[in-house]
Amino acid sequence: MAAKSTKRDCDRILLLTTILLLGIGLIMVFSASFVIAGEQSGDSYYFIKRQSLWVAIGLLGLYIFSRIHYLKLKKMSLIILVFNFILLGLIFTGLGTDLGTEAKRWLAVGPVVVQPSEFSKLAFVIFTSAYMSSRRIDLRNMWTATVLPLGIAAAALFMISLQPDFGTSLIVLAGAVLVVFFAGVPIARAASLTLIGLPPLGYLMVNEDYRLQRIFTYIDPWADASDSGYQIIQSLYAFGSGHLFGSGLGRGRQKLFYLPEPQNDFIFAVIGEELGFIGAVAILLLYLIFIWRGFQIALKAPDLFGSLLAAGITFLLALQVLVNVAVVTGILPVTGINLPLISAGGSSVFFTLVSIGILLNISKHAKETKTA
Amino acid sequence: MAEFSVSRAMVRKRLIFGFIITLIIVFLLISRLAWIQIARADELYDQAWEQWNHAITVSTDRGSIYDRHGRLLAGTRQAQTIAAIPPQVEDPRAAAEALAPVLNMDIENIIELITLERSAVYIKRKVEPEITEAVREMNIPGIVFFNEEKRDYPGGNLASQLLGFVGMDQGWSGIEVYYEDYLSGSEGRLLFPADAWGRQVPHDFNRFVEPKQGFDLYLAIDETIQHIVEKELNRIMEEAAPVKAMAVAVDPNSGAVLAVSSKPDFEPANYENYNPDSWTLAPFTSSFEPGSTFKMVTLAAVLEEGIFNGDEYFHCQGHVTISGRRINCWTVDRGGHGDITFREAVGGSCNLAFIELGSRLGKEKLFEYIEAFGFGTLTGIDYPGESPGLVFQPDSQGTLELATTSFGQGISVTPIQQVMAVAAMANGGYLYKPYILDKILNLDGETVYQKKPEMVRQVISAETSSELVELMESVILEGTGSTANLEGYRAAGKTGTAEKLDADGTYSSTDFVYSFVGFAPLEDPRLVLYVAVDSVSRGPRFGSHTSAPLFKRIMEDSLNYLLVSPTELSAQEGE
Repeated sequence: MAAKSTKRDCDRILLLTTILLLGIGLIMVFSASFVIAGEQSGDSYYFIKRQSLWVAIGLLGLYIFSRIHYLKLKKMSLIILVFNFILLGLIFTGLGTDLGTEAKRWLAVGPVVVQPSEFSKLAFVIFTSAYMSSRRIDLRNMWTATVLPLGIAAAALFMISLQPDFGTSLIVLAGAVLVVFFAGVPIARAASLTLIGLPPLGYLMVNEDYRLQRIFTYIDPWADASDSGYQIIQSLYAFGSGHLFGSGLGRGRQKLFYLPEPQNDFIFAVIGEELGFIGAVAILLLYLIFIWRGFQIALKAPDLFGSLLAAGITFLLALQVLVNVAVVTGILPVTGINLPLISAGGSSVFFTLVSIGILLNISKHAKETKTA
Repeated sequence: MAEFSVSRAMVRKRLIFGFIITLIIVFLLISRLAWIQIARADELYDQAWEQWNHAITVSTDRGSIYDRHGRLLAGTRQAQTIAAIPPQVEDPRAAAEALAPVLNMDIENIIELITLERSAVYIKRKVEPEITEAVREMNIPGIVFFNEEKRDYPGGNLASQLLGFVGMDQGWSGIEVYYEDYLSGSEGRLLFPADAWGRQVPHDFNRFVEPKQGFDLYLAIDETIQHIVEKELNRIMEEAAPVKAMAVAVDPNSGAVLAVSSKPDFEPANYENYNPDSWTLAPFTSSFEPGSTFKMVTLAAVLEEGIFNGDEYFHCQGHVTISGRRINCWTVDRGGHGDITFREAVGGSCNLAFIELGSRLGKEKLFEYIEAFGFGTLTGIDYPGESPGLVFQPDSQGTLELATTSFGQGISVTPIQQVMAVAAMANGGYLYKPYILDKILNLDGETVYQKKPEMVRQVISAETSSELVELMESVILEGTGSTANLEGYRAAGKTGTAEKLDADGTYSSTDFVYSFVGFAPLEDPRLVLYVAVDSVSRGPRFGSHTSAPLFKRIMEDSLNYLLVSPTELSAQEGE
């Protein structure tokens, strides 16, 4: 595997798509949040100010990581993993905060509040890519090639689900699973492991009453239209009202306290209402372009680590987009997964941009395309 | 060994697989979006629209009802309604416990109301001001007040059955329901978009549907005559304690109903406290056997047909047997009227003489006149629930039926039918359609409708009419109706005693409906009045001692009120 690595420009289409999505995200966060922000904090610009700040910091992170050679991450992967577990552990100390919600998901250090589970998503992609690209891995060995990397991720899943944040914990695990999958672990084995993993997952799911509630709601949202089915119905109302061309930017009604978290998990519903089917599809296509570029970067990465890392970052983002859209359109139960790059959320946008920075760095080292 | 370590080739295969899966899922999601945003868009939008748009109804004043001279009979005043906005009620139980005693409602009942998933619910509507004041002082979050109108009847019971009453939102009986469309107008609505908490969205599109105020109705009723009628009916109710007493007065030259009442009655403002039987206006809605008053129909017929000779003698032996059934004259106990002229037979209300007249007329002719006078069909008065009465068809009539019909037995008629028939006899032969509503005025006081008297047909000639009037006067002057003789006015009329059917279908020997129908003054009849007293339980049991004096008192007071100049008595004395 003698990769011939030549220094070239980063992937401009990927960067442009990212910036477009970020821009749309800022506009939509403002549109979705100004009423709620005005009501909750007295400042209509509360969410948009914070989001703009985090986007700025995130773009800085993107720039920095696009300049750091991604192979350095491979060397640091174990440190990153350990650091991740320390952060997750700190939540259970006095530094953890629930920010007034029902879940303790954040670490507060002075004025800075971060969500370690957002870091975990990236951390596990990096660690698992590094692990699976090491020379000692023999795919025949179930323990070292599958159980161990997934087991470590499962430990993080368990810690995050205790916050509780079941949806994010699943995404963290999914990051490791994706990398292991791309590395070529036999599908039959992965499937049987999944079967073994189902009972404990089921337990975690049923353990918390609200999760079960979400599942039931998923089965028939209208059965309990006022309570748990409310979110899904309101989301469908938003999409339906948007029709083909949307009600116009800023003119949505569903963000007026009908939709829960319109600037966050349900921002795609606001997009569906204000920009219509056309707008919603356009955004899905932008994500598809992003995924296409990430896919190309993974294919052309000069080495196995770079390839797995690019694949992990790209498809983990893809997974979150698909799950979020499936949730807000009523296909999947409400999980609490946001829409990367668009939803309001500081840690989310920051670590997403950092991971895109890494992706861009990998793109700079792409192999020369050879004839197939 | 190499094929078992992680290879770029394998990663490539898996990546392509992953990308294809992603493409498929994106395609499915776009399909899903199309399904929601295109196929089901209208349905979802309609449902969303329902939840966004709240409406406040803007009530409008119901039109008022006046008498012919503009005296208020029914109007509206503001009342307060107590409602709740359930999402804003913080502690439903505490709120309910505070409200229950003041509103005289059940605690659980209130809790149920104020926890409904609605933007607003009524708790209690149209309550008295002191109750709202008490609730206001409690200052319960989520409890709100707004004005609604409450129907007000300044006359209390006056003309209650005629006016009817208004339920929570619309007329339920009488004129209130008959002219509901004119009275109610239409409610206005303010439609506004609201957020999930029901708060109006500022600077957004509102739509206001203007309320349309109801029209004011002016009835043909004369409040004063109505008052006189009711005063006298109340008096007879006191004195004779009958089951029912009723009266209806019309203007014979137009068909305008000047007064109508039936006792016992009710208070329209508190209708729910009264037996629903008291809500109905018997002179329009109930029919019964007319008794002797119906003899005037037979008399009019024979006069018009020219087969009446007042000087001809007739022998009344007190009873006669027709088709195997014995029919008595009311004088049977003293052996009948004996030998009398037909003129005397009219004054003495001889049943047998009228049987004779009826048989001379023949059933076809008699029924022709019965129909022509309007019996057996609706008069078409503008009041809900009028009864047509019941008249046999000539084909199903035997000699017996012809005989009994001639003096008013075996058929069923309403008081308004009798009054209109007598009015036709008094006014030169013209049968009018009776009416209640005289005119309708809009908000600006402009007349938008004016009733024109409707003549249905001429039943008898003017000559017959004047002959008839003369004969009817004799009933009052010399005959059975002498107790109805007015002071200062010439009047004509006829008593009637209808036997009531017992539960077993046979005539009751104790319960009678004493009636009197007549008009005055003779020279230019201004008022036709029908009175009836049903089943007296105290005092004298003759029509001449119950219904005739009742007629006399009402007629005298009414004519005085109408400033009808008394008849030149000297002319009478000179006869």
